Order: sequence, then C-alpha cells, then structure tokens
Amino acid sequence: MNTTLSADDLARIEGMSDAELFSHISHDDLESEKITAPRYSYWRSVFRVFFRKKINIIILAILLFVILFTYIYPAVSHYDRFANLMDASAKHLGPTKAMEKFGANIHWILGSGASGQSTFDAIWNGARISISLALVCAAINMTLGVLIGAVWGFSKKVDMVMTEVYNIVGNVPYILLISVLVLIFSPSFWTMVFALTVTGWIAIAYFIRTQVIIIRDRDYNLVSRCLGTPITRIATKNILPFMTSVIVTYIAVEIPSYISYEVFLAYIGMGLSDMSLGRLIYEAESAMVTPGWGFEFWSPVVLASIITVALYVTGQNLGDASDPRTHM
Amino acid sequence: MTKYLIRRILHGLVSVFIVVGIVMIMIYSLMNRDLIFAADNVYRNLGNNQKTVYKYRMWQEFGYMTYVTYADYINMLYNNGEIDDATRSSVISIGRTSENDSPETAEYVAKFREYYESQGYAVQRLNAIMASARKVATGGQQQYFAYKDKPLYTRLVNYVTGLFTVDNIHAVKEDVGERGLTFTLHDPVYGGKTFAPAIIGNGTTHKYLFYVDRTFPYVHQNLLTINLGKSYTVNAGVDVFTTMTRAQGSYTPSVITYPSGLTESSADDLHSAVYVPGSRETSRVLSDRYTDDYTSVQTIKAGFSKMGYSFVIGIIAVFLAYLLGVPLGIAMARHKDKLIDKLGTIYIVFIIAVPSLAYIFLFKAIGGRLGLPTTFDMESTGKLMYVLPIVSLALPSIGNLMKWLRRYMIDQMNADYVKFARSGGLSEGEIFSRHILKNAAIPIIHGIPASVLGALVGAIITERVYVIPGAGNLLTIAINSYDNGVIVGVTLFYALLSVTAVILGDVLMSMVDPRISFSSKAR
Repeated sequence: MNTTLSADDLARIEGMSDAELFSHISHDDLESEKITAPRYSYWRSVFRVFFRKKINIIILAILLFVILFTYIYPAVSHYDRFANLMDASAKHLGPTKAMEKFGANIHWILGSGASGQSTFDAIWNGARISISLALVCAAINMTLGVLIGAVWGFSKKVDMVMTEVYNIVGNVPYILLISVLVLIFSPSFWTMVFALTVTGWIAIAYFIRTQVIIIRDRDYNLVSRCLGTPITRIATKNILPFMTSVIVTYIAVEIPSYISYEVFLAYIGMGLSDMSLGRLIYEAESAMVTPGWGFEFWSPVVLASIITVALYVTGQNLGDASDPRTHM
Repeated sequence: MTKYLIRRILHGLVSVFIVVGIVMIMIYSLMNRDLIFAADNVYRNLGNNQKTVYKYRMWQEFGYMTYVTYADYINMLYNNGEIDDATRSSVISIGRTSENDSPETAEYVAKFREYYESQGYAVQRLNAIMASARKVATGGQQQYFAYKDKPLYTRLVNYVTGLFTVDNIHAVKEDVGERGLTFTLHDPVYGGKTFAPAIIGNGTTHKYLFYVDRTFPYVHQNLLTINLGKSYTVNAGVDVFTTMTRAQGSYTPSVITYPSGLTESSADDLHSAVYVPGSRETSRVLSDRYTDDYTSVQTIKAGFSKMGYSFVIGIIAVFLAYLLGVPLGIAMARHKDKLIDKLGTIYIVFIIAVPSLAYIFLFKAIGGRLGLPTTFDMESTGKLMYVLPIVSLALPSIGNLMKWLRRYMIDQMNADYVKFARSGGLSEGEIFSRHILKNAAIPIIHGIPASVLGALVGAIITERVYVIPGAGNLLTIAINSYDNGVIVGVTLFYALLSVTAVILGDVLMSMVDPRISFSSKAR
C-alpha cells in the first residue's frame, strides 16, 4: 500500500483498539494458492500497443472508412452501368464536364467512362467485389493453411508426403492452373475463389510448418510432452500463442496480395467477368494514353493502391503489436 | 557431395515430369475441348458432317486424339501392298448410307470397323445429309472415320522420349546417294578458302551438323535437337524451343554463294539447311540455288530471340537490383530507425502493397513525361527503349532485396558473436562488413541463381505493358489460344529452370558458407 496517511488520519486511528482496526479473516486453502499479479489480457495489450502509435489510428480510420464505404455506397447508389449507354455525349467525360452535364453530385466527381457510366460508382462497385474476393480467399487459405501446416509440422510422416506435394505443386505455373479452372467453369466470383484457394493454401501451410518445426522442439515443449500434455493442448496452448504475430503478419501480406493478383489476372485477360477493380483497370487501359480520359484509368488504380496499402500497413503494425515482447 | 547432387537432380527430374503429367491432365482431360473452336472462323463457316470431321481433325492436330479416316486406311493398305490400285480406287469411296455400299466396299468398310475397334478406337459413320432427294447438302458428304483419345501414359512417354532427337545419316528415308559425314576445314558456305571447320552430313536431316560462324557462341551444332512440343496456333508448326530461341525482326541480307555457285544478296542462313524431299523438282528457285535437296533454310534476322530480349532486360535488371538493393539494405540496417530506414520502409511498403500493374503503369507514365520511349521497337537501334522495362523490373526487386537484407542483418545484430566482437573493440564498420554482412548475405546468395534463371523466363506484365517481343507472354498467349503443345513445352521449361535454380542455389550457398555441407559424412 502506498497511500500515505495524512496527519488527521493518524490522529483518528491512534485512539482505536486492535479489534476496531483489524477484522478476522478465515483461512482459505484455495485463496492462499493464488499468485497476485497485475491483470494481463493478451488482446487488450495488443490493442494498447497498437493504438499507442498515432499513425495506426489514422490508417485504421482510413481503412474502416474505405471498407464501410465500399459496402454501403454501392447498396444505396443504385449503380447502373448501362444507364447512359445510348447517350454519346456522356462518354469519356472529365470531372468538370461530367458535373456540368449531370449536375454537381458525388457520382460525377471522377467523370464518366466508356459507356457513360459514373467512374466513381464503378470503382466502388469494383472495390466491393475485389475486397470480398480477397477476404474470402484469405479466410479460406489461412484456415486451411494454418490447420494443415500445424499437422504438417507435427507429423514426420505427413511431412514427407507433403514436402513432395509442395515441390510438385510449386512448379505448376499458377497462371496455368487458374486459367484452366476459369475455362472449365465460367469466370464467376466463386470460380475465382476456387482457383485461388485450390493450391493457394499450400504456401501458407509450408510457412506455418517451418514455424511449427522451429518451436516444436524447444525445451519447454519437450518438458511439456514428457509431463504428458496431449498434443492438441501443446498445439493450442504452447505453440499457437507464439504463432499469433506470425500469422497476423502473414495475413497482412496475404489480403492485399489477392487484390493485386486479381488485378494482374484481369489484366492478362483471365480475370472475373464481374467489373472488379482489376477488370476496370484492364478495360480502361487504352484510356491511360488518351489525353483527358486519365481519370477512368487512374481512379481504380489509385483506389486499389489505397486499399492494399491501408490493409498492409494495418496488418503489419497489428502483427508487430501482437508480438508479446512488445507489450512491456 | 556428388552423390547428393545426383540424387537431387534425379529427384528434381521426377517432379518435373510429374508436373508435366499434371499439366497434361489439366489441359487434355479437364478442359472443354470445344473451346479451341471459339475463335475459329473455318469452323464457323463449315456445316453438317464437314464440321464434325473438321472438329476431329483439329483435335488430332492439337494432340487430343488419334484420328483415322477410311480413305487413310485404304491408302495404308495400298502402301503396304495388301491391295492393288484397282481395288483401291473401287473401294475408297463409300456410299451415302451403308445400304448404298457396293458389296466389295462393304467388305472393306467392315474390315475398317473390325481393325480399329479391336485397337480400342471408336468408329463412326456419318450418313450423307441430303438437301433434296438427289442433292447433298453443303458439307453434308458421307464420312467414315475412327478416333481414339490418347491415354496420359502414352502421351507422357511419347513426349519424354521425343524431347531430344539426335540426327543420324539414316534420318532421311529417300534415296540421297552415298550416306555419310564429311569433315572439312574449309566450309563451302564461306567460299571454300577461309579456314572454317564444319561437319557436313548426307542422309541426315540437317546438312551442317557442326559449323562455325560469327555470331555468339561461334561454334554451333545441329546434331542434337530439343523438341519441347509443336505449336499449332501461336507459331504454327514450329517447336516451342525454336519459338523461344529463334531470332526475330527484319532480315539482314548479305552477299552469299549458294551451293550451285549462284551469288546474290540474301538473308538465307545456309548453315540451317534441312532436307526436304523432292523440293528441287517442284521449285525452279530452289533448283537454281541448290545442288541437293537440303533446301529449307532459316533466315538471318536482326533482332534477338524472344528469350534473348527477356534475358537482356531481365539480367540487367537483376544486376541493377543487387547493385542498388544490397547497399541500400545494409544502409537501412546500419541506421535502423533513422531517416534512411524510414524512407526505405515507405518504399518497401509501396512496392509490396501496391499492385505491380499499378506501379508499372506509374513508371510508364513518369517515363513518358521524361521523354523516354514507352514502347519497344525491334527495328530501332536506340538503347533508350530498354530503360523503362529495366527500371520497371529492377525497382520491385530492389525493394524485395532491401526488405530481406535489412531483416537478416537486424536479426544478426543481436547475435552473441556480434556482442563479443563489439566488446573485443572492433569498430562498427568492421563488425558490419566482416561479420554481420557475411552471415546475412547467405540467404540472399541462395536466391541469386533463381533470379538469373528467372530472367530467361521473362516478365508477364512488364513485357505486355512495354510491348516487348519477349518470352514472358508466351504462356499467357498459349493459354488464350489453347495451344496445348506450347503450354506443355513452356511448363516443362519453367519447371526445369526452377528445379535447377534451387539446386544451384544450394550449391552456391554451400560454397560460400563452409558450415553448410550436403555430404552425408559431415552430418
């Protein structure tokens, strides 16, 4: 107790008897075993460290805003790509001209595109598809990758088989695999998810396997195993906490990489049939070199970059914060 | 070490062929084979039975199946001497329906069915489609043929055994006079007076088996030919390996003397002469120039090959990346949390997070503003057009190198040996260059063969954006035009390169780091 007693308090206490000052507490075996320590909550500490940096708050705010806007705006804006298709004077307009024509509202602040559609509406619709694709793929790949990677790291038999599988699958050109799958099925959203996840998890699983092997044979785990801790408990209680920061860091790279990959695939003509960000860039490529049409091309590029950078930086810093060694 | 390497190489080869097998299953069995007709105008204009037959014929060309028509079968019997010319001409055409066949024809029709069904073929007869009672509809002629899908096993075995062809003096079946090899010190292509050793064959597919010329690597051979798979749409009839390695661009004519003594200005490369049976009889141009039937020649072209362009750009970019990335990474680690580290981190985040397409376009736009050429032109001799592709390829690799070198060096900085060196009184400069860098560079060195060999493969986006005639786009073009031969060939090439790169990386790593040893003794 470090509360200092004032002179008044001392004067008050002085006249009291022991019975008035102390009360008797019965002995409790259970209570006496408890070790008092400052309360420590892992996730609370993670967020405390994360929010300590002002830049993180700003980037997280941007990210949240972008994501919320991506999902809310297309739902309320009723975007119709072909609404102005017949109006020849509505096509390829710069922001000022578009706003002169259609009136100054939010739809036209980035001008209009090849079929007279609003570029602003188009990029947010595209972003919704791209972000959804990235989140779904990341969720599936990370879950499969972490689970399989954990088993792969623990079992020597699985290791032998899986390492061979990894060596072989790693050599099949990824573009080939995706394009064949896209050709077999139609280039729809779920085909793309399937194509990106059918072998996508294996790299993550390999990464997790290496991490598991590094931690698996540390002394405390050997001791734990000697004391008879079941392997599932070792995996979830001894190893998983160590891996949290690694996994979070990996997710930080993974989610933006799916957006980049989707853009890449669309650019080489193997992407989605929906107007995702990648497809918008692909279709507006000729607009880049045409003077006055620049907004059509650069808007999806800039939005894709903002989303990926915000996701990446947030993820990296969250990864740093989830390392318990930074919690001091 | 040697034993270990041999095992690694064999292991690698096995996985390469498994990869080729998987790719074959994917493109030949999983993919819808009607897709190859999506952009085929010939197919669109055909109708009725002709369309069906065209479909099977194209499937055979694309390597899906073997396809034999009834006429092929009758001609085969004739060539084998089983039937005479009279029988051939009387049975070769079948009736509009099977009831209309003459008894003799019906016998051979039945034989055809029996012969091919016993070999597992499916035999199909299409009756004539009539426009009116007497007139056959357009493309509605009767057809009779057998077809069989190639099983994966035979396909793979045929592919692997056909990978290399060694030229020999019995390669040409026709009568070419005395077969044999001649060694000469004075190559007739150079007038027969200058010293230029060559081995000339008669009866071989190629006329020149070994020869010397003025282009790198000066000594050339035609004895061993690599066949990665024939292309059908990308570069019709030409092997993938040739597609990748043959020079492109405009012809470079020079004054040459043909074997007949005719001298004229031409881009023909007489060293590439290949036997074409009976070619001189049918062409006056050829009979004027050549004294034998080795008449099919390549032309000398000014540009590099596909792989050449990719490699020139790629290798300069790799060189530039290591030249800049390594010192920058070291600087970032040495001045951790200082300004240079922060700027470097921003750059790395930019490179990793922003889609590569976006920053390549950004570089293109900036370069265009600066007045650099943004599209590649094979005919131009200027070197400036190489600048933007090289920069676009180098900048991401620089970011990547910086990231990893910084990471490895910072990890090493906390190691005990560094603390010991510091307590021993070594200066920071010495510690960094002598101790930390040596250890941190090992994983970086491991990646060098991969990046050098990777330059051969080319870059998809960069080459597309700057219109470079390189090898990077070959796979995507092949996929888009369903060119199965090219897909398989390119896959094999990629897989071989990546396996080689990993093995070379391990060897290089064990050379620079004496602690790493692959021989079983040290373990």
